[in-house]
Amino acid sequence: MPVPKWLVVARNEYRITTSKIRKIRPYFPILIIGLLAVYVAFIAPAVASLLIDDFLAFIITFAAVPMVQIFLFMIFFYFIILPITQTLKEMETGQLEIFLAAPIKPSDVLLGEFLGHMPLYAIAITVITGFFTAVLTPLGLDMVQTAIIIIVFVVTFLSAYWIGVVIAAILRTRLGKTARGKDIGRALALVIALPMIAIMYAIMGGGLTEALVDPGTSGAVRAILGLLPSSWGAEVFVGFASNPGNIGAVGFETVTRFGGLVAFFVAVLWLGAKAANRAYSLEPTTFIASRAKPDGAFYKTVKYLGGGGSFGTLLVSIFKDYSRRLENLSKIFYMVGLLAIINIFLIGPDDAEGALLMPQFILPLLAAFVVGEVTLRGKEALFIYKKTPSGVGRLVKARLLHGWLVVVPITAAIITVSTILSPQTTFISSLTITGLATLFVAANVAFVLGLSLLNPAFSDKSGNYVINMMITMFAIPNGLFLIPLIVLGRVFDLGLYDILLYVTVPLSWLVGIVFLYLGKRKLGRIE
Amino acid sequence: MKVLIRTDKLSKHYGKGGEIKAVDELDLEVYEGETFGLLGPNGAGKTTTVRLLNCIIKPTSGTATVNGYDILKEETDVKRVTGLLAESPGLYEKLSAHEFLEFMGALYDVPSNILPERIDDLLKLFGLYDRRDYLLEGYSRGMKQKVLIASALIHDPPILFFDEPTSMLDPRAALMVKDLIKKLADTVGKTIFICSHILPVVEELCDRIGIINRGRLIAVGTVDEIIAKAETKTLEEAFIAITGGVQEKELLAWREQKGAGA
Repeated sequence: MPVPKWLVVARNEYRITTSKIRKIRPYFPILIIGLLAVYVAFIAPAVASLLIDDFLAFIITFAAVPMVQIFLFMIFFYFIILPITQTLKEMETGQLEIFLAAPIKPSDVLLGEFLGHMPLYAIAITVITGFFTAVLTPLGLDMVQTAIIIIVFVVTFLSAYWIGVVIAAILRTRLGKTARGKDIGRALALVIALPMIAIMYAIMGGGLTEALVDPGTSGAVRAILGLLPSSWGAEVFVGFASNPGNIGAVGFETVTRFGGLVAFFVAVLWLGAKAANRAYSLEPTTFIASRAKPDGAFYKTVKYLGGGGSFGTLLVSIFKDYSRRLENLSKIFYMVGLLAIINIFLIGPDDAEGALLMPQFILPLLAAFVVGEVTLRGKEALFIYKKTPSGVGRLVKARLLHGWLVVVPITAAIITVSTILSPQTTFISSLTITGLATLFVAANVAFVLGLSLLNPAFSDKSGNYVINMMITMFAIPNGLFLIPLIVLGRVFDLGLYDILLYVTVPLSWLVGIVFLYLGKRKLGRIE
Repeated sequence: MKVLIRTDKLSKHYGKGGEIKAVDELDLEVYEGETFGLLGPNGAGKTTTVRLLNCIIKPTSGTATVNGYDILKEETDVKRVTGLLAESPGLYEKLSAHEFLEFMGALYDVPSNILPERIDDLLKLFGLYDRRDYLLEGYSRGMKQKVLIASALIHDPPILFFDEPTSMLDPRAALMVKDLIKKLADTVGKTIFICSHILPVVEELCDRIGIINRGRLIAVGTVDEIIAKAETKTLEEAFIAITGGVQEKELLAWREQKGAGA
């Protein structure tokens, strides 16, 4: 009897996912099951016992149901976006042709892809379910309640993961066939996580938990989130936690919520299988080719800023190539969004120093996103410049100017807005802070450009790219700002502004110029 | 001679109102055991034709039969009797050659008792047996092409479609692929349908050729018949005459403009 096709696809997906551990593949499941058993039996209960007093106090508040709803919603959302993000980052439709040419139903391919990655998701589900079960066990839940809780979690997350797999397959078919579509996909992959980050920071900032204690706010959140299937599980969870060993007390709620969840799971499975035909297709989705418009006022200004001649044309070309990639714009949007979220949820309007401190950690990353992609188009793109007279110098100059023209105005706008919103900041100090921050970020642009040329990464998956990002993320804020702030601040009793003015900004310019020189030299010798 | 592939006003139109005619009322017959070449410039409709005949996409109108099976009504049967080497296929780079062929064999329902032996035979035939456990990401382009051809043969189909089989290969690998296609046609008697814009490949391998341009089949016959019909000396000249090309005098016209030099 032939092996079912979905099993063939699932086995293939599993092999691909575990190709890096091929040598231990036969023992991998045993190893993982053993580790998970240790976690469920010992680690999760030990961690839960540390939190049990807080949990007992929390479970009787108005915040309990909405907070568990939010937690489950976050995990639910995460299970949906994870397969989508993975697919959007690397959309290849070549393998679709293999499936479409073979005698296999699209629903079998979909089910196979779902099951093939399932072991990795099952690990995450076990960890989460194991923890929540461990938290509830000391309350005295009976076996049936515990079993229902486990099933509720498994069904909730499997539904989410299935939805994610279906959406990912549809997006791959819709977007993966054109360069523009792939670009949109990569752009979406980054910004799709922002709502999750906002909720996470809202919880971390403390405001959300406090707000939910209020019955009005709590009720509103419950009503809104109650529409989502992830919340039905949360209501079962809190119902059992409030009535341990007494399933009859919440019998009706349990039956309706649990039944609703199972019905939802069956419905999404059925709808996904129905959508599979649309999810696997090589029919062209668009015939609209992107066309360049004549240069408008913006590019004319950029050309003017570049001196108007051939260098101005070069600068405009770099600008066009950069800004026509939605992926690049989404990175800027992501960083600005992240900074806004941090300002709203973690810092608050009264914390002027915080508003100044936080950008020093985020802005270097913005610089890295903008100029760090200088080598990502491959060596051949760099060789175009190497071939032309004075090409290396002109590339460095144009990239530096491009970086400044993108990063500096964004920085100035962000800092100005966040300082204006702070009631303690005067107009003059707002100007000073903005000036210092833009000087700092301009130096960061030079540093990152130099670093990216010194340690070139020819793909965003290469180790060099990760190293450059790590150096930018940790070395600049810590080495040039935080450490001087802690050390010199204590020794010489210097404040935040003094450190920025006398240490961070001059030091970052020095480092930036040195790295830029070294990077340019390396580019001249690159082969 | 038995007709194995027959198209009947096969059309595939795209865009609003179907203004883009990728394939337009294609009438074609390919006989059992012959090697047929579909020749045409880029964007002529060659790949669309192959995809239609392999039931990867559906026609806007018209139909076709492959080995007697209707592409609209008997999709699964059509897929079982064809092997496809796509133009830019997605290899699973994280699988070994053996694993990939095992996967393809299972997709085409090759019985598990004969699959391992067939994989070994194909790997030996293509000279890849010693590297059977190496991941495909480490293979050269020519070696990957060999694996893909092996995967098209894994279920031993009577009809093989090769879409631009040599366009991405170096001369040595291209020669190897050409020899292999000849062998498949001469000794195993497969019916082979080749799509290409590389004239020498088609000229060397094919018993008959069809020239397609803007979705329409504009010439069919042996190489000699097409050359004679176009009243030219070579297939290249015939191809240009039939499909249209740039006049020689137009090529360097830009140099006449003032100030064009550096």
